[in-house]
Parts: sequence; structure tokens; C-alpha cells
Amino acid sequence: MLALVTVSAIFLRWLPQHGLPILLLFTVSAGTAAGIYFTQRRRYRVSSHGIRKERHDADITAVLWTASAGVILGALGIGVVLIG
Amino acid sequence: MTNREQPASAPVPPSRGRIAERLLPGGEEPDPRFTLANERTFLAWIRTSLALLAGGIAIEAFTSDLFLEPVRKGLAVVLLLLGMLLSAGSAVRWLRVERSMRNKAPLPVPLIVPLLAAAGALAAAVVLIFILWR
Repeated sequence: MLALVTVSAIFLRWLPQHGLPILLLFTVSAGTAAGIYFTQRRRYRVSSHGIRKERHDADITAVLWTASAGVILGALGIGVVLIG
Repeated sequence: MTNREQPASAPVPPSRGRIAERLLPGGEEPDPRFTLANERTFLAWIRTSLALLAGGIAIEAFTSDLFLEPVRKGLAVVLLLLGMLLSAGSAVRWLRVERSMRNKAPLPVPLIVPLLAAAGALAAAVVLIFILWR
């Protein structure tokens, strides 16, 4: 989460050079960080109950979403470097 | 034999959701500690990927008076591309390990390790050549 916040802050450094489209990158990064922050208590609870019950379903949605955020940020970043 | 006389059937496992059923079919739930360890490894790769993304942005944003524009853009694109590939690769790796654990199969060889090593060496070589040439 903190890594995403850091990346979103670094994206803001691009704002004077590349303008408002950077806000999209900032939103994706900060939004993902906020999603992790606001669901961490629930995920911790589910995980600790999973260990106690000896059964824990893999959180595939969270994995796919986090990986997609990285791919989207990378693709948009490359677009900004090459086009912007 | 009526329903009342039937022996108690095995407990029905709770539904895992459509995406999980589709991407992680068959097998049985591994030890939760292993599932959580796999998730931690995935998150470590994601942190590396985010560091590469931040590095790519930083090179493009902060080194305009240090590198020539083509070198700066090239390095930034390499780092951003690597971060993007690593992010996707970490999800694929997580999925393959989870499938292996569900089916009690040997864990797959990590493909993103040689990718990261090769790209890191390439980026270092580009910087080294630039510094020596400058």
C-alpha cells in the first residue's frame, strides 16, 4: 500500500510536464492503495480465521486486481513517456 | 431406503466463486499457511514491480540535465516495461504455484527471475556504457 502511495506521489511530479492526463495515473495508483487500506482489516480477519479453521480460499480477485493495476500503470507510464 | 435412512454424506465444501472455480479448477485446498505464503511472495514481486515503475518515472522526471533525451526515455521505458511485465508475471507465477499446490504437484520454475536478472543486467550495461562514453 505504501509503495503505491509513493508511486502515486511520484506521478504528481509529472503533472507540470504532462498535464491533466497524469491525474488518471495518480487516480489508479492512489485508488488501489485506498482499496488495500480499506479492506486490510477484513482480509486480515479472513486470513486468521482461515489458519484457525485450517481452510483458506485463495483471494484470486485481489491478486488479479493488484497485478492489473501494475500493468495499467506501466502501460500508461510508457504512453506518457513516448507520447507526452 | 428413505432419505432419513441414508448415511450422512460428506460435507459440501463452500462455493469458491466463479473466477476461482475457473482459474483454479480441481484439486483440494492446500494448507492455508502455504496459500498465504504464496500471496506474500506475490506481494514481494509487486513491490519490486512498483519500485521499477517509480524508478522509470523518476528517471524521466528528474534526470533531464544528466542524460540525453533518447537515453533518458529509453531507460524510463525499459524500467516501466519491466515493472509492467513483472506485475503480470507475478500474477501468473502466483496462479501456477497455487495450481501446483492444489494438485500436490512440484512447484513450477520461476520464469520471472531470469527475466528480471537479464533486464537488470541490460539496464546496468546501458548506464555503464553511457557513463564511460560520456
